[in-house]
Amino acid sequence: MTTNTSVYRLWQMISPNLPVGAYSYSQGLEQVTHTAKITDEATTMNWISGVLEHGLARTDIPVLLRVYHAMRNGDEEGALWWSQQLLAMRETAELRLEDLSMGAALLRLLPELGVPVTATELPFAAAFAIGAAAWNVDPTDACAGYAWSWSEQQVTAAIKLVPLGHTAGQRLLLALGEKIERAVTIASELGDEELGMSLPGLAIASAKHETQYTRLFRS
Amino acid sequence: MLAESVSNPGKSKWHAKLSLEFSHRRNRTVLSERAHKGPFCIQKPFYPADGVCHVYLIHPPGGMVAGDVLDLDVQIKDSANVLITTPSSAKFYRSNADDSMQKQTLRIGSNASLEWLPMDTILFGGSRARIDTEFHLDADAAFIGWEALSLGRPMSGDHYESGTLRQCTKIFVDSEVVLLERLDWSANDSVLQADWGLAGHTVWGMVYAYPADKSTVISIRENHVVQTNALTGATLLGRLMVARCMSNSAQSLRLALEASWKTLRQSVIEREPIPPRIWMT
Repeated sequence: MTTNTSVYRLWQMISPNLPVGAYSYSQGLEQVTHTAKITDEATTMNWISGVLEHGLARTDIPVLLRVYHAMRNGDEEGALWWSQQLLAMRETAELRLEDLSMGAALLRLLPELGVPVTATELPFAAAFAIGAAAWNVDPTDACAGYAWSWSEQQVTAAIKLVPLGHTAGQRLLLALGEKIERAVTIASELGDEELGMSLPGLAIASAKHETQYTRLFRS
Repeated sequence: MLAESVSNPGKSKWHAKLSLEFSHRRNRTVLSERAHKGPFCIQKPFYPADGVCHVYLIHPPGGMVAGDVLDLDVQIKDSANVLITTPSSAKFYRSNADDSMQKQTLRIGSNASLEWLPMDTILFGGSRARIDTEFHLDADAAFIGWEALSLGRPMSGDHYESGTLRQCTKIFVDSEVVLLERLDWSANDSVLQADWGLAGHTVWGMVYAYPADKSTVISIRENHVVQTNALTGATLLGRLMVARCMSNSAQSLRLALEASWKTLRQSVIEREPIPPRIWMT
């Protein structure tokens, strides 16, 4: 049963204050602003909403769901198996490093908050699922929360990079809010054999970002 | 060309299967087992001066119509060295209903090597293609592979205005998945035009190399022929190098892939990059 407490736990995990370093990564955005493919509010919206629906909805979110259910069933091996699948879907060294580093930070934090964990290195979505499962967060809410917090990080990065004003950032978040339910629906309807999606342009942008000369965000 | 692009509903569907096993015997690689069903075979393997067993896969129908299944299973035993290529592009023709499916599983043993260098796959407008490829590497194996997709045939006025693709490539090292690369689209999906997708490019390629390190990645990033012929991003996933390329010309992509192979062959397989004869014809 969902209690108010579990809702607050979810808010805690999706807060930009969660100390996992999410603010230091741009996930390819920096390279595409560098090569002038993202120049304004509209092109930013196309990029973030496209990656949300075609990428996140077919990678992070469905894996989050599977790790969540594995943990609820005490199936740690299953949780690890799906984590490895998610890692294999990360197209570049940079995206893997970023994901594992955020995941490791959350795995270090969770025991301090009373959630025992055995793994030390998991993708962020898997660590997030472990927290959500332990705190009895509703799985659909957990997926929506994850998608929201990812969207917020992308908008924050875009405000610095494009750059955009804070009001434009709020308009983007309002519009992205309309896209989250669809992303969660896509994610929950995928069969086990259908997970994964490579985004060619994002993958190439991220690979090029690994060597980009001047930059604000980490690889 | 036009006749090719229209599937013939009366034509029977093929389920063709080819299984090959290569072994290392008395200082050379031999084809130790071969079984096939339906029109899918190889020419007699031959041995250029590089000591590698070269094999050409032949698919006599020349392309896949609705409902066709083409199934390849390759086992490269310990210490065997194999290069596989094809004499012509693979083609997925227009289909009104069923998917055409290509399934390929390749296993590479300890100290063995595989160079997987097929010609490109052309997705005709209206085709319904499924391509599933798995590479299973022993941790001590060496592997160079590429995959190339062409969307439609722009020179013949086919701009791939309809069609579906479901492609998945998985690479395993010692049974653990290290890459799961999936493309899944309908021709009108935003992925073909969006900047995070193919950004309007009409050809797409992947290059893989194992074992690789940072210098392998740099050798692709700094390869002038690769970089001028395709928009290319190279990265290192553990000991697997992955490079993704997009371009607007199948010929340019081909040049980029061959240039990658030449560089990689020296560092990964440690052999001189003498192109297979069939590429010259």
